[in-house]
Amino acid sequence: MTFLWGLLWGLAAVMFIAGGAVIGVWWERKVAARIQMRLGPQQLGPAGVLQMIADVPKLLFKEDIVPDNADKPIFRYAPMAVFAPIAMSVAVIPFWAGWAPLDSTVGMVFYLAFPSIGVLGILLSAWSSHNTLATIGGMRAAAQMVSYEVPRSLAVLSVIVLAGSLQPTEVMDAWQWWWIPLTFVGFVVYFIASIAEMNRGPFDLPEAESELVAGYFSDYSGFRWAIFMMGEYGALISASLFGAAVFLGGYRWLPGVAGLAVFLVLAMVLITAVMWIKWTFPRLRQDQLMTFCWTVLTPLAIVQLVVAGVVALWL
Amino acid sequence: MSANDLALAVTVTVMVAGAAGTVLTSDVPRLVISLGTFLLGVAAAFLVMGSPLLAVSQVFVYVGGVLVLVLFALMMVRRSGDEKPKVATRHDLGAAVIALGVFVLLAAVLGPVAADPTPVVTAPNEVGAILLGPSLVAFELVGVLLLAALLAVLVIVKGGEDS
Repeated sequence: MTFLWGLLWGLAAVMFIAGGAVIGVWWERKVAARIQMRLGPQQLGPAGVLQMIADVPKLLFKEDIVPDNADKPIFRYAPMAVFAPIAMSVAVIPFWAGWAPLDSTVGMVFYLAFPSIGVLGILLSAWSSHNTLATIGGMRAAAQMVSYEVPRSLAVLSVIVLAGSLQPTEVMDAWQWWWIPLTFVGFVVYFIASIAEMNRGPFDLPEAESELVAGYFSDYSGFRWAIFMMGEYGALISASLFGAAVFLGGYRWLPGVAGLAVFLVLAMVLITAVMWIKWTFPRLRQDQLMTFCWTVLTPLAIVQLVVAGVVALWL
Repeated sequence: MSANDLALAVTVTVMVAGAAGTVLTSDVPRLVISLGTFLLGVAAAFLVMGSPLLAVSQVFVYVGGVLVLVLFALMMVRRSGDEKPKVATRHDLGAAVIALGVFVLLAAVLGPVAADPTPVVTAPNEVGAILLGPSLVAFELVGVLLLAALLAVLVIVKGGEDS
């Protein structure tokens, strides 16, 4: 019975992420267009909302090309290993007072740990493509994602120290409004590191379309390509939800359904901010990217952790 | 057989299959998948035995960190052209002897502990309190050991430059 419920929740998470990705693509096109003084999609339905329904069958029916040279079984299934961990990470996000789909006692670590399995999927798909561009993209992605995990985890750790718990719902119960100014540096570090973690601009060197075609998913087409895109938008949605909850207070601002609405609006603001950043800043160079992580973000996160630790002593 | 035993049997089967795959294959992507299966199996076993903190740490450190770094290093040495890199060793027997030695060591250390019926602490807070309380010295010594290993690697790499 528990197993069946787990299966049902897994399916719900996949639908949530897939639906979110489809809406995210449309929203990103609108945001990007406004930033560049264009209108974006507007032919199908009001403000082009039906465009997202048109996009899905297009991706479903495109030819599924598997290169002759590729390691075929791994090439076919590696995208799933990129997508699944991200769908799993949504499970521990606290949506409602005292409720998360999977309210684990170690949920905070779970959230940080599982998306890192996705790096393996990226490396495997890059390797199995048997293509130089994909290999370079995959290696960049691995270096970047493993490195940015460090400041990201340290930033979340400062909230964990303040709350004194690894359980997301308990962290939310302990949350106070003055944690926002106190952990502001941590939130900024978390936000930047999350953008790097999801391989988005200005940190999208692993995909860098001007030099690497599309990096680790250069050889993918049709629905397998769409799984990578769903993974990317899924990471965006999941990181925004988690950041809005543990750093910005999520549902704690208002009681009941209004709280849930505030939480979702906060997450949507974060999602839009990530898109805004992507379409505003130029891409970094690979060495600048790594230097930024180790010499700026990591020390900042450690300072934030020390500050949080000192304050936690007085709580 | 209870549901818990069944779950443990499944995880152990997965672990053994992953470990066998790791030893028997020489194709890098399959090797990494096998090793990943084994490590995730270990995490699942921790979960079944009621240690969620150990389970997520296992995923965090080994699957997300160590395994990715191993694959990363293997990709760095990939030769140009269509030649597929293979992982081959001429030290199968030596490795087997070392593995057996580690097994005997672990069995000797963990055997008496496993017989002890006192419940093991699994709550994250209590694990933290023990690590920074009674076991503080051991915890710090492990840190020193890791630092020594890092320095040793640095010396080996620098020594190879022959400047």
